[in-house]
Amino acid sequence: MTENKNTSERVSLVYALAPLRKYMLEFVLLVVCLFLAFRAPGFFTRDNLLLVLLNVSMQGVIAFGMTMVIISGEIDLSVGSAVAFGGCITAWMTGLLAAHGLPLVCAIPAAVLASLAVGFAIGCATGFLRTRFNVPTFIATLAWMTVLKGASELITNGFPLTPFPQWYSFLGSGYVFGIPFPAIIFLAVFCVIQILMSFTAFGRSIYAVGGNAEAARISGIKVGRVKILVMGTVALLTAFSGVMQSAQIMSGSATTGQGWELDVISAVIIGGTSLMGGAGTVWGTFIGVVFLGVLLNGMTLMNISEYWQHVVRGALILAAVLINLAPSRKK
Amino acid sequence: MRGHHLQTLNLRKEYPGTVALNGVSVDFEGGRVHALIGKNGAGKSTLVKIFAGSVQPTGGTILIDGEPVELRSPSDAFAKGIATVYQEMSLVPEMTVAENIFLGRWPRRKGLLRSMVDWRGIAEAAQAVLDGMQVSLDLCANVGDLGMAQQQIVEIAKAMSFNPSVIMLDEPTSALARHETENLFRLIRQLAAKGVAVIYITHRLQELSQVADTVTVLRDGNCVGTIDIGAATPETVAHMMFGGVAQAVRPADLQAGTEPVMQVRGLGQPGKFHDVNFELRKGEVLGIAGMLGSGRTELLRAIFGVDPCETGEIVLDGEAFRPTTPAGMKALGLAFTPENRKEHGLVQELSTRANVCLASLDRIATAGFMTALRERAVVLPIMDRLAVKVPDIEHAVASLSGGNQQKVVVAKWLNTEPCVILFDEPTRGIDVQAKQHIFKIMWDLSRQGISCIFVSSELEELVEVCHRILIMKHGTITGEVFPESISVEDLVVRCMDA
Repeated sequence: MTENKNTSERVSLVYALAPLRKYMLEFVLLVVCLFLAFRAPGFFTRDNLLLVLLNVSMQGVIAFGMTMVIISGEIDLSVGSAVAFGGCITAWMTGLLAAHGLPLVCAIPAAVLASLAVGFAIGCATGFLRTRFNVPTFIATLAWMTVLKGASELITNGFPLTPFPQWYSFLGSGYVFGIPFPAIIFLAVFCVIQILMSFTAFGRSIYAVGGNAEAARISGIKVGRVKILVMGTVALLTAFSGVMQSAQIMSGSATTGQGWELDVISAVIIGGTSLMGGAGTVWGTFIGVVFLGVLLNGMTLMNISEYWQHVVRGALILAAVLINLAPSRKK
Repeated sequence: MRGHHLQTLNLRKEYPGTVALNGVSVDFEGGRVHALIGKNGAGKSTLVKIFAGSVQPTGGTILIDGEPVELRSPSDAFAKGIATVYQEMSLVPEMTVAENIFLGRWPRRKGLLRSMVDWRGIAEAAQAVLDGMQVSLDLCANVGDLGMAQQQIVEIAKAMSFNPSVIMLDEPTSALARHETENLFRLIRQLAAKGVAVIYITHRLQELSQVADTVTVLRDGNCVGTIDIGAATPETVAHMMFGGVAQAVRPADLQAGTEPVMQVRGLGQPGKFHDVNFELRKGEVLGIAGMLGSGRTELLRAIFGVDPCETGEIVLDGEAFRPTTPAGMKALGLAFTPENRKEHGLVQELSTRANVCLASLDRIATAGFMTALRERAVVLPIMDRLAVKVPDIEHAVASLSGGNQQKVVVAKWLNTEPCVILFDEPTRGIDVQAKQHIFKIMWDLSRQGISCIFVSSELEELVEVCHRILIMKHGTITGEVFPESISVEDLVVRCMDA
C-alpha cells in the first residue's frame, strides 16, 4: 500500500516537474542571468550584453550547423581548423587577385565566395566518403582537422596574411543599428536553420536519418544525399565563420579557431541534442550557446580565473549529458 | 553418461487477461532430439522462457531427472543443467573462439598470479569441449571472422561447456544456408548420443525428419501431443497444429481484376532466391506462403529495391526494369511494410505524425516547406480511415502498441498513393483484433483497386485473406493455389514437402 502510494506520488511529481525539466536550460539561464545582474559589475548593461552576443556569434553560427550534423547521427571535428582555413583562403585569394590587378571591391567578394565554395565542397566530400565508402565522419573529419591545419599553414607560410582594407573589418566587428554584424548573422542563421529543421521536408529527413537510417531508407528517403548536404552545410557555415573571424582580426591566420570543435559540440550537447542522433532542437543550441557565453562573460566580470572557467565548462557538459540521459536510463 | 530427463506436470502460465500455458505436461528424455513446434502464440516461447529461467510459471511442476526444481533465473537454470542457445548470437566478435566459450568464466592462474587469466588453461578446456562435440575449430580465430554456421557451433560449445543435461536450441538454423544446417544436425545428433536431452524449437517443419526423434506440438497453450518422428507425416503434423480450426473466409464482394499491374520475371538473388516469376493483378490480394527461410522476405525486399537483385526484372506499366532503390520504387507506386517494423518500419524517436509523413514528405511539402498544421490535415483523416487509436499523434511512436505501430506503417505508405503494397509479416506480434483490422485494410485497398502482396508465416491468415496464394520453397515459386479449394492443413503440407 505505502509503496503504491509512494510510487504514485513520485509519478505525479515527475509529471509536475516535466515542464520544468523540458525548459530546464532556459530556467537555469534565467537564474544565472539574474544572479549575474546583481553580483557581476556591469553585466546587465546594453554594451556588455551585446558583447556577449558578439563573443558567441562566430562559434554560434557553426553550432547551428553542428546541431544538424549531430541530429543526423554524424559529427564534425574539423570545424576549428576549418575556421582558420576559411580565413586563410579568403586572405590568400584576396592577395592573389589583388596582385593580378583586380580592385579589392571585386577581389574580396570573389575570395569570400571561393572560401565558402571550398568549405562546402570539403563538407560534401566528407558526406560522400561516409555514404559511399562508409568512412565514419568521426575519422574523416579528424583527418580534415589535421589536413586543414597544415593547409592553412602552407598557405600563410606561418605568418598571418594581411591583404585586407579597413572596410573589410565590418564583417567581423561592424555595427548595424548598434548591433554587431556577426551577431546579426548569428541570429539570421539561427532563424534559417530553425525554419529548415522545423518546417521543411529536408529538416524532417535529417531527423529521420539520424533516428533510424534504415527505416528512413526503406521509406524512400535518400539517406546519402541528406548526409552529404548536412556535412556540406556545417562546413559552409564554418567557412563563413572563418571569414568573419578573419575580418575581426584583419588577417588570415592559421592559428585561429583552435579548439573550437569542443566549444561548438559542448554548446550543442548542453542544448539537449542527443549524441546518438535523431533528437535535438535548434532552439536548444541557441540557448546552449548563449548560456556558455553568459557564463564565461560573468566569470570574467567577477574576476574568476580563466582556469576555473575551463573547469566549469567541463562540469557543465557532464551535467547536461546526465540530465539528457536521465529519462532513457530507466529503460 | 546416463540419460537425463526433463519433465513438466500441468505447467501453467497466466498473464493478465490471457493464458499462455494451460496445464502443459511434456516429457523430454535424454539421448533424443525433441522438436517443439506450434504456430505463433501457441505457447512455445513461453515454455522455452520458463525452461530458461527467464519467466516464472504460475502453476505446475518442472522435474529434472525426477526431482522437482524451481528455475528462478537464467543463471539458476544453467546451474541446474538447462542450457539455452538463442537465435540471436551472444558472442563477442572481437574475441577468440576459446575466450568466447568461457566468456566471463575464464580460468585463473594459481598462486600469486591468481588475478591473471590462465590462457593455456582456457585453450585446453575449450579444446576439450570441442573434442567432446567432435568438431574442429581454430581456437585462436576471432569469432567475428567466422561464418554464421561456425558461430552457431561456438554458441553451442559455450552452452556445452556448462555440461548441461538439457540443451535448448531456439531456431538455430534461421541464419544458416542449407549445407550448413546439415552439419549442425549432425552435431545435434551427437549431443543427443551423449545422453543430453535436446529440445529443438523450429518453424521449419521440413527439417523435422532430418533431426528430430520426437515431435511435440503446442496449440493455444495446450500440449496437443507428442509423436515419434516415424509417425510424423506432414499431414499428421499439420493436423496437430491446425486441426479443428474454423476457417475464416474473406468478404464475398471482393473481386480481383484481370489486368496485371506488376509482373515479376526471372528475379534472382544468389543464395536467397532464384527464377521467381509471377503476375499481380489489379486489386488482387496475393499471398506468398512458405516456411521460414524459403526466401519470401528476401524476395519482397528485392522487389522494393531494399537489397539489390542480380537477375531478372519486374514490369510495371508496361516497362521492364531491375528494381533500383526504395526511393526509386516508391516513385513508381510501390510501397513496402517491412517484417521488422520496429527497426525498419518506423523511426521510434519521432512522433506518430512525423512517422506517417515520412514516406510522403515531397507530397506534403510545398517547395520543400511544410508545417505541422499541414501535416495534421494529412495525417488525421488517414488515421481515422485506418481506425488507429492514438492518444496523441505528437507523442513518440515508440509508445504505441504493436498493432497500432503496424497501422502507422501502413498509413505512412497510403500517403504515397501506391498501386502495389508489399506486406511482409504485417501481423507478427499483434493481437487478434489488430490482425482483423489489418486484414480489413487490405480488403479495402483491394476494393479501391490497389494490389497487395501478403507474406505471412501464419498460413491460415493467407487462406483467410488472399485471392490467390503462391507457394514458395527453397527460394523459388513452386505452385499456386486458391483459398477456395485448399485447407490450411493441405497448404502446410504443400509448403513442407521436399
